[in-house]
Amino acid sequence: MFATNRPRRLLAVAACAATMLLIGACASAPPSPTAALTEAKSAIQAAERDDASHFAAAELDKARQKLILANKAVVAEDMILAERFAQEATVTANLAAAKTAATKAVAINEEMGRGTEALLEEMQRVGDQQ
Amino acid sequence: MNTSTINYARVPRMLAVAAAVTLAVTSCATAPQSPNGSAEVRNKLNALQSNSSLANHVPVELREAEAAVLIAEAPVGQDVALGQHRVYMADQLVEIATANAATGYAEGQREVLAQKRDNARLDARTREADKARRESAMAKSATEDARAAAATNATEAAEKEKELLRQIDVLQAEATDRGLVLTLGDVLFATGRSDLKSGRNNTLDKLIVFLNEYPDRSVTIEGHTDDVGSLEMNQTLSQHRANNVKSYLTQHGIQSARLAATGMGETVPIADNLSASGRQQNRRVEVIIQKSPAVPTASTN
Repeated sequence: MFATNRPRRLLAVAACAATMLLIGACASAPPSPTAALTEAKSAIQAAERDDASHFAAAELDKARQKLILANKAVVAEDMILAERFAQEATVTANLAAAKTAATKAVAINEEMGRGTEALLEEMQRVGDQQ
Repeated sequence: MNTSTINYARVPRMLAVAAAVTLAVTSCATAPQSPNGSAEVRNKLNALQSNSSLANHVPVELREAEAAVLIAEAPVGQDVALGQHRVYMADQLVEIATANAATGYAEGQREVLAQKRDNARLDARTREADKARRESAMAKSATEDARAAAATNATEAAEKEKELLRQIDVLQAEATDRGLVLTLGDVLFATGRSDLKSGRNNTLDKLIVFLNEYPDRSVTIEGHTDDVGSLEMNQTLSQHRANNVKSYLTQHGIQSARLAATGMGETVPIADNLSASGRQQNRRVEVIIQKSPAVPTASTN
């Protein structure tokens, strides 16, 4: 049985190899997008350092979820999807940082404005007394 | 076809590729369509770009967002996931540009706010300084006023006191327990007569000036004699002399109510009657100026 099937087996192996070659030629599985993943991780960490969990919690959480999805895609060996998720995680983490900065900047202005208002009010009162 | 993900750090180059792809797709496909959601992102970007007060703060971010939106708008055929990824990336970049623009705008405003605050502080300080200056000036002037008033009072009192003493000195009066005693010597009267020698009497004129100056003072006029002659006669003579002095004063405008005239006779000698000079001293009229409660006289002893 084996003897008789040998030529067919060879054929099958050859076909398999050809398929592999073909696949390799068409869409060689790309390596894990290490750079993109690292970038995403550091972007999230930078946002965390800016206290984005306080000022842009939604965006920071979204970025974290995207990084988780990216890592899952790596496990699933879908490197294209992994890189996309990593990029999305990075851009969203950057957005969290940007929103945090904006909120802080506006808060500083409001504080300054309040201080000035208080001063003007105080003077108004002093002026009225005179 | 460009099915892999985009390296956003090399957006310009990618842009060219995307444009080429777009061209290629346009030439091949009959109805090329932009991915779902790309139009919304484009609108968002346009809104930010048209707001110059925000857009001016983020030229770099806007360029990157613009490139990403262009890529997102490129048709992707059947690759819906790629389209969604590109739209997501473009959307987030537009959002980042918006947030950074807000930050930049706030920072720009800060200069104005700081200026306002500094002005307010300056105003407040100026006001405080003015107020303090005003208050200190007021306090100073009040103190000065008080001091001046006190000085004036003191000066006035001192002046009055001095004036009174001067007047007393002019009158050659003597301060006694009864008051100021002005002694008119007998030279004013002829011996044995009660009428004053004619003409103006210098001493009495001084007394008139004094009484006009101090209208609250009343005067007791006492006539005295030596022991020559009978007691009765001397009593009468002394009374007449006192009366004559009183009438001299009333004639010169002093109210008679302020004047009391008494004859003491020879009962209160101030010297012995043995010698001529002693008798001469005893023949006299004493004008006693009553103490005033208002203006104390010179201290008595």
